[in-house]
Amino acid sequence: MFLLDDIFLRSIGLSIPGFDMIWNFEQILNFAYKERAGEIKDRIKENRVLYEFGEMTKEEYESEDVELKRQLRLAERVEDMDLGTRIDILGG
Amino acid sequence: MSKAEKPKSGIYVYCLIRSPEEKKSFGTIGIGGEEVYTIAYRDFASVVSKAAMKSYDAGEGEVEVHKEVMGEVMKNRSVLPVAYGMVFKNKKLLSVAMKAGYKAVKKAMKTVDGRVELGIKIFLPKDAMDLDGKIDRCKLDFMGDLTKVAVDSKELKLFSDRLLLNSAFLVERNKIDEFSARVGVLGNEYGDLKTQYSGPWPPYNFVDIHIMGKKRGGFR
Repeated sequence: MFLLDDIFLRSIGLSIPGFDMIWNFEQILNFAYKERAGEIKDRIKENRVLYEFGEMTKEEYESEDVELKRQLRLAERVEDMDLGTRIDILGG
Repeated sequence: MSKAEKPKSGIYVYCLIRSPEEKKSFGTIGIGGEEVYTIAYRDFASVVSKAAMKSYDAGEGEVEVHKEVMGEVMKNRSVLPVAYGMVFKNKKLLSVAMKAGYKAVKKAMKTVDGRVELGIKIFLPKDAMDLDGKIDRCKLDFMGDLTKVAVDSKELKLFSDRLLLNSAFLVERNKIDEFSARVGVLGNEYGDLKTQYSGPWPPYNFVDIHIMGKKRGGFR
């Protein structure tokens, strides 16, 4: 009901600050998930370089690599869900 | 997995090369141990193998196979790297994509023909101190000196706080030794920083072709 009210009000050019605030939070959350995947990819590369420079043992590297790739798959799955997207039926 | 769930087989593309006179096999080095061979289109050929029609994730071991196949192919010829995970339903669709992207391929091949990519990463050692002035000088020296030998260079993302320089260089095959010698001299000069010199690689950072349907723009 709230959502329908929100869509209806948006379609006639009105907005309720409370609802807009929720939408903004959703967008921030969505952006954070995308950032998260990028950060994990960077850490995977950093982990590899540290291993190649001999700052980690093979076991340490592999264990960290497995964990980071698990986190990446999770972050990408969340990103695919696109939790912050609301279908705009009426446009505007 | 039941038979019904098994993904259909398609044609996986690793890279593009100038077409050999006849269909060429690179051996059973492809994804899943499949034969890697060429499918010609005019004066170019796709280097392919049979592979499952599915979404290829970056975390899977197939990335390494993709790289290894390109490494093998580029030993004796110039390659245009194709992004990981490009798989076509059949030969006809690959041919349609090649037709759509022919001009882009021709242009890209001119850029990389007879050249390879070499990479330099400079890392700050653990607990490094009092290196402020030296860091700037080091970056300038490496870039200034190596770009004189290279045809082109790209500064890549600094993915770690300790990474000072991450650059790719496009170098003529016959200048690799000269480039390596200069890296050696610079590496010694800045011995208290960690330098990683890698390659030769397919020119990933100077051309990266994604093959798509014609409606989505062919190649990019």
